[in-house]
Amino acid sequence: MQTGFLNFYDAVLGATQQRASLLANNIANADTPGFKAMDIPFNNALSAALGDASAGSAAPEYRTNTAVGLDGNDVSLDLERVEAVQNGEQMTAAATFLHQATADMITALRPNPNGS
Amino acid sequence: MPGSDIFSIVGGALDAQNARMGAIASNLANVDSITPPGGVPYRAHEVVFEAAPVDASADETVTADANATPDMGVSVAGTVLSNAAPTQSYDPGSPYADAQGYVTGSNVSQVGQMVDLIDASNSYAASVAVLQQASRIDQQMISSFQVS
Repeated sequence: MQTGFLNFYDAVLGATQQRASLLANNIANADTPGFKAMDIPFNNALSAALGDASAGSAAPEYRTNTAVGLDGNDVSLDLERVEAVQNGEQMTAAATFLHQATADMITALRPNPNGS
Repeated sequence: MPGSDIFSIVGGALDAQNARMGAIASNLANVDSITPPGGVPYRAHEVVFEAAPVDASADETVTADANATPDMGVSVAGTVLSNAAPTQSYDPGSPYADAQGYVTGSNVSQVGQMVDLIDASNSYAASVAVLQQASRIDQQMISSFQVS
């Protein structure tokens, strides 16, 4: 059984983790001829992970705003690193909130917090 | 463990950039190699990467099922030899000089190789940064379970 807030953090962490893999893949392929960078808009990934069918799919999308090099590669290392850091902070924030929420719940479960 | 496949993606990237830097080292070492007349001059090696195909079939990618994760990463597809013309330098005294007194060298562009080396080094550093971040987040996730 999952309570509501655990479900939510599960979705946030799942969405950020999926983005982390894609961003790592973009950085890994920064020098691959013909490679096109992919990403998932966080909103779409989160809505899909929460089971909101109306919010559109969480399929990876190609970036459309980056310059394509002579070898057909359009990865911008700067952009990918910024996105990776942002995504990591989002993941860290979710983990911190989850940690605190779990600690609060365990405190509430104790019979007498001030006693022995 | 969150992001466990990030480690394999980054590992592949580090491997690939390492192979590229090895080729660059070989090219720079051979920049002054000369060839006797009729021999095959040294040609610069260029490492070509290829991406593992990302499975764009949607929907399943969000499920928690680890088997649904699309295949990601990079690998070395192979090495190609540069088609640039080898250098010809006039040195009639050399034992490798041809009838006209020219010595055939390699076709390595020293400046081009240095630029390539800096690019490879940048990409390597970016992958290391991803690795450090993934490791930091993993440690944070582990400490989340330590509720006193």
